[in-house]
Amino acid sequence: MKTDLFEKRKQELSRLTDEELNRKFWELSEKIVDPLVKLAYENTTPSIERSVLLRMGFNSLEAKGFVDKCFERGLLGRGAGHVILKVAEELKRDYLAVGKEMAEGKHWEVAEKSFKGVKIG
Amino acid sequence: MSLDPTKKLDVDEILTGLADYRPKRKGWHWREAHPSEKKEGSYRYEEISKPLTQSLPLPAGRYFDNIDPQPQEIITAEIASGRFEDDLRRMRMAAWHGADHIMVIRTLGQSHFDGLLEGTPEGTGGVPITRKEIRASRKALDLIEEEVGRPINFHSYVSGIAGPEVAVLFAEEGVNGAHQDPQYNVLYRGINPIRSFVDAAVAKKLMASADILQIDGAHNANASSKIAWKVMPELLVQHAINSSFSVRAGMKKSLISLSTVPPMSSPSPSFRLNFVYALTIRELFKEFKFRAQMNTRYIEADLYDATRIHVLDAVLSRLTHADLQSTITPDEGRNVPWHINSIRGVQTAKHTLIALDGIKRYVGPKMDALKDEMRDLKIRAILYMEDILENGGYFEAVEKGFFVDSGYFPERNGDGIVRKKDGELGAGSIVPRERDYYAPVCHHYGYNALPAGVKKACDPIRGCTLDHPEKIQFLDELDENDNVEVRRAAVRESERKGLLKPEVEWKNDGIIQLDITIPDNPDIAEAAALEIANRLGLEEPTVISKTVLHPAEGTYVELKARVPFFVDRNTLRLPEKPVTLSEEEITRYVHENPLRVVAGTVGNDEHSVGIREILDIKHGGIEKFGIKYTYLGTSVPVEKMIDAAIETNSQAILCSMIITHNDVHIDEMKKIHQLCIEKGVRDRLLLIAGGTQIKNEIAIQSGMDAGFGRGTKGIDVASFIVKTLQGKKAGG
Repeated sequence: MKTDLFEKRKQELSRLTDEELNRKFWELSEKIVDPLVKLAYENTTPSIERSVLLRMGFNSLEAKGFVDKCFERGLLGRGAGHVILKVAEELKRDYLAVGKEMAEGKHWEVAEKSFKGVKIG
Repeated sequence: MSLDPTKKLDVDEILTGLADYRPKRKGWHWREAHPSEKKEGSYRYEEISKPLTQSLPLPAGRYFDNIDPQPQEIITAEIASGRFEDDLRRMRMAAWHGADHIMVIRTLGQSHFDGLLEGTPEGTGGVPITRKEIRASRKALDLIEEEVGRPINFHSYVSGIAGPEVAVLFAEEGVNGAHQDPQYNVLYRGINPIRSFVDAAVAKKLMASADILQIDGAHNANASSKIAWKVMPELLVQHAINSSFSVRAGMKKSLISLSTVPPMSSPSPSFRLNFVYALTIRELFKEFKFRAQMNTRYIEADLYDATRIHVLDAVLSRLTHADLQSTITPDEGRNVPWHINSIRGVQTAKHTLIALDGIKRYVGPKMDALKDEMRDLKIRAILYMEDILENGGYFEAVEKGFFVDSGYFPERNGDGIVRKKDGELGAGSIVPRERDYYAPVCHHYGYNALPAGVKKACDPIRGCTLDHPEKIQFLDELDENDNVEVRRAAVRESERKGLLKPEVEWKNDGIIQLDITIPDNPDIAEAAALEIANRLGLEEPTVISKTVLHPAEGTYVELKARVPFFVDRNTLRLPEKPVTLSEEEITRYVHENPLRVVAGTVGNDEHSVGIREILDIKHGGIEKFGIKYTYLGTSVPVEKMIDAAIETNSQAILCSMIITHNDVHIDEMKKIHQLCIEKGVRDRLLLIAGGTQIKNEIAIQSGMDAGFGRGTKGIDVASFIVKTLQGKKAGG
């Protein structure tokens, strides 16, 4: 911000009361985070998906193995846990056992078939 | 299992049964209200909390009936030596001194590890945070908090490229507080900016689910910028971005704590600058909590300078407001923190906050004088944010190097930290959630399309680990060489045999510190100090601090080195502790055989506090047992002491001597003994010396009947007099 513009705006802000200044501060802060919140709402990441698998009862090694493979196959956007549940449902087996096997590289053809339309990587 | 204050923490027992250990409680715990009108001893306080059941008071506590009032503020000790099993013992030490927020720094590089670490590898400058390490630490703290009678908050970091997973781990394992601030990832860890914010929302929501207190990371701008006060407008902006984002991710304001540091230090006119800043931030963020951290930016290797800075920082906390007073060990500038310095940090905070208890009733800011500067700061922060928005938003501002620039806004010096929106670690790992994106777990931030018929996200998996901890998998060790069992095996033998080595951070590290003043210039002094350590047979001597007393006249050197041998605790010869008579026995004897003594400090010695304590009834002195005394004052010539004893028909002379330069105390003792012989009264007078440096053996060698050193109470002296007189009587 150029100095003259700064000085001009500073003059304008000087007319605000303390309360108004505080309010202005928080309004701007909200404006800055609006797009950040939207990004977070609409996206996921390998770490987020591993955090889902941990909460489902997988250990960190299984979570990492699974999510790496899920990411490579372009299925992360469906939700890692979702992919496991879908495959477990197809195989009619317990999701924990199926997820563990998928982390080792098994059953991915089932996943890819279930989520058809997704580009196979 | 419970802890016995006379026994060491059994680390092996802590490590047993971890696979099934569950934390006693979850969530942050504030200190509780004082139960009895904030009265401790004979003092009424205004800002203290519930006392501990067991603790170690400040050094001067013994003059105040050993009271140990606890400030209302949570006190933090940062503890992380790289070996968590040794840190457990330091946590216990810190808790006994009044820390109830134990902050464990992570090992170097963990924030770039894409996933969770497991097992118990050794860390550098911190601890690798793993489930096993956290569980063991929480287990130890669950015991320690029972021992001291106050819940202890355990804290580490939800930062780096695996934030959401670490947040799950913390929520599951009863971690109570954590640093979380995506801006920290972006600016200081070089992690992709988008990844950092997307991860952060999920991590924050998870932290909120377990009532984990969040501490932000804005204060790092302070420590990174060239001239710290110039980043003040930016600090406000950084705090605001993280606070707003956190609330939007689901955190309660009452569990969002701003990490704020007084930016400046002496010799700048720091307090004035820090005061304006502290008041401004507290006004703008009044709905949030404040974690007052001490300044590290200007800490060199000088412990005293660090302590002076930290006292003033805590004064600022008391004059404004803090919910947590964090401490930095004063040796941060030169070591991995040592046990003693962690404790000193805690003592500094406790001392200052208690000393200033209630001061705001008398002293406060002159708002008329402060108003303009506070408004100026706010306006700069507001325009800073307008500048961010007009440049396209947060990511664009980071790309343009807005942050941690050394200019005072709107001035920019072009030396800010630049991070690319689409670059850095983890770039390209952000994936849009598809329309059917589904995460079958609770407390998940963001879009989540529950399948038809599913009411609660985790119903299809019959509950997730946050509600069903039995579903958590515990991984033990992954590395057979780098783990706690291997480290324990190396020290267990010496523990079993009772072999001791000095310790500053790790069992058997053997490190000692020597304080040496060499009457020469700094270069010579350093070389001389190293030579001395070598000749003493010490290993790996390293100079850790130097203070120039004069460029040619002298240099004070602090040196650390390793002691290469063990000391066997079983073969140590301890001086016998005299068994004192009971109070009743003494009182009865004195009642039947009236006793009188004369007392004073001898020679040129004006230190009278100690002798007054030995005498006065209100300090539990000998008067309490009915012993009459004549106090002759300070710097009394020995002739006068003897004459007074004869005149008052006393049975004993109590001479206090603090000054010991050139063994003047030994001369005085010999002199009084000799004069008593010359005057023919040595047989009927007990001669007793006392003082901090007095040893019984030396006193006796110098002609006294007894000598009493540091920590002596009236009863010790009274008991000695009575016992000796009883013995004389019995002997005829």
